[in-house]
Amino acid sequence: MADLLQFTIAGLSQGAVYALVAMGFVAVFSVSGVINLAQGEFAALGGLVALSGVGAGLPMPLALVVALLVVGLVAVLMQRLAIAPVRRMTTLVSIILTLGVSTALKALMLLLYGPQGRGLPPLPGPDLVIGGVSVRAQELWILGVTAVVAVAVTVFYDRTMLGKALRACAEQPVAARLVGISPVAAATVAFAVAGLLGAIAGVLASPIQLTQWDSGLLLGLKGFVAATLGGLVSIRGAVLGGLVLGVLESLVAGYIDSGYRDAVAFVLLIVVLVARPEGVFGRHAQARV
Amino acid sequence: MFGPVKRLAVVLAAGALLAAGCAEEQPAPGAQGGGAEDGPFRIGAVLDITGAGASLGVPERDTLTLLADQLNAEGGIDGRQVELIIEDNASTEDGAARAASKLITEDQVDILLGASRTGPSLAMRPIAESTPLPMISLAANAAIVNGSEWVFKTAQNDSVVIENIVRDAAAKGYKTLALARDASGFGEGVQQLFDEIGGPSGVSVVAVESFAPDATDFTAQMVNIRNANADAVVIWGIPPAAGLAQKAYTQLGVGKPVYQSHGIGNQVFLDTAAESADGLVAPLGRLVVADQLPADDPQKQVITDFIADYRGAYGTAPSTFAGHAYDGWQLAVDALRAAGTDPEALREHLEGVTDFVGVSGTFTMTAEDHSGLQADDLVLVTVRDRQFQLATP
Repeated sequence: MADLLQFTIAGLSQGAVYALVAMGFVAVFSVSGVINLAQGEFAALGGLVALSGVGAGLPMPLALVVALLVVGLVAVLMQRLAIAPVRRMTTLVSIILTLGVSTALKALMLLLYGPQGRGLPPLPGPDLVIGGVSVRAQELWILGVTAVVAVAVTVFYDRTMLGKALRACAEQPVAARLVGISPVAAATVAFAVAGLLGAIAGVLASPIQLTQWDSGLLLGLKGFVAATLGGLVSIRGAVLGGLVLGVLESLVAGYIDSGYRDAVAFVLLIVVLVARPEGVFGRHAQARV
Repeated sequence: MFGPVKRLAVVLAAGALLAAGCAEEQPAPGAQGGGAEDGPFRIGAVLDITGAGASLGVPERDTLTLLADQLNAEGGIDGRQVELIIEDNASTEDGAARAASKLITEDQVDILLGASRTGPSLAMRPIAESTPLPMISLAANAAIVNGSEWVFKTAQNDSVVIENIVRDAAAKGYKTLALARDASGFGEGVQQLFDEIGGPSGVSVVAVESFAPDATDFTAQMVNIRNANADAVVIWGIPPAAGLAQKAYTQLGVGKPVYQSHGIGNQVFLDTAAESADGLVAPLGRLVVADQLPADDPQKQVITDFIADYRGAYGTAPSTFAGHAYDGWQLAVDALRAAGTDPEALREHLEGVTDFVGVSGTFTMTAEDHSGLQADDLVLVTVRDRQFQLATP
């Protein structure tokens, strides 16, 4: 029983990181139809910028803020320079374009930070052992922050004027334009949100998993699978997808063979794409965003 | 209408520039697979500079660059310069094979160094054997040199490391070991070696878990290791994975004495594992405890000089992996100096290396033993307050 709980806790905290990356995929795709393959690189960049902030002597909270700002800016620049100028954006074009940006970002990180992985110091708090189950303070931070961020993003889309405008763009582009909502501005905001979400994921994961120039690859892939579980347009689906993927991976590693851990995401992706291409958790997704 | 065309033109222009840049690096035509009578000696190195082996490959690259510059500044070998050509295999097997082929056919190197890890080294072995060209691997698994004609290596064999662990475990009365090992080439066959070497002393492995070299979560493995309830635990991997595993081991309260392999001899491990590493025991080369060695240790001078040079160039202490690169380079240069560029003469010279004092140990190669190091080339080391400390007198 303690083992099951231990695996689940580890899976949930890992899954929360996937969930944050997955929300980034959804934020961009639901507004502009772009599958942003650089989403994982946002996470890696977030971790690295925070690291150099701490290395330069900034206090931890300030370094985190700097990381969020830098990655948010990079995401907006990416939208302005690489996505916005393309007139006929299809999903395929978006994949090729964002893959290019992802490769460029990876090369940039490799040049600036070198190939070796490093970790941020963990956020403050005691590591706990409850009934034989060990819970790290950082894991609680990951779960807590992800919960707050997920609620905030949901409220943003459901309650705020800007969020509603973004949804309007996604659901009724022509009508949205008629009432004065600019699709370009909407896409820019969507990329900024995606950048922030990625940076939060990278910063939170870094103390446990280390960050290096290529750590965005697997993270982006897992995040994409999680987002696909939710049909790519549902924030709730993305969060649920991330958590399910994380726990499933952890259980497979614990009870079957740790070598199969990374295969879980691929198997899940194939099953979902064949059986329910609209997503497992995304029944009302089209209408909800 | 002109937008896409202009963009395309920019891309094409960039591509042309890149191609031109590459073209300049083409070597002058010459004899296939080295053997040139004049011009510089060429040493090719294939290293895990990016990817899972980065914490090994980067210091190795830095070491080789430093030694090449030093040698050339002193006039090279008998007045001939030595050209060092380094390729990154991105920690992949196919990358290593490609890089080795490229170094042999295009750059026509006289001798091949690398790779940093076992898997990529094994991928290079058949290329060196069939060219043939002498190759000196910097990785650990004895399978790299077992039965080979042309491949040598400088990292201590895994069997030598296991001998040390088993000896210590038996002395402390541990009967059962739980093993968490690297799932790549470095951890391949380790369990069998423990059974072979541990059998006579009554030490046996009762549980095995594996982890990918780029794994980040070790909860599953450590929970299963905890349930195995062995007398001691062996974590067999390289940083950062070995450090993250050590951390998980402590956090999940496995609570048994822990051994690590010689794969952890660098600062990255100490940084990653932090205080969770306190008290672990590992057989490591003398490099990491150079300041604690007795003055009459035959390696002391070589190691101290190397540390001083490396620190002078890069501002940090070299890792044991840097030491493997140092040894590989010195053996290669020594062979080139003595035997010239004929592959067969180089091979024969390397096989005859006797009492060659290096950083990782004192090498004595034979036709059967292309590793050349023994159990006493390692010392047992423990970790206290993020520092390696000599555990054996």
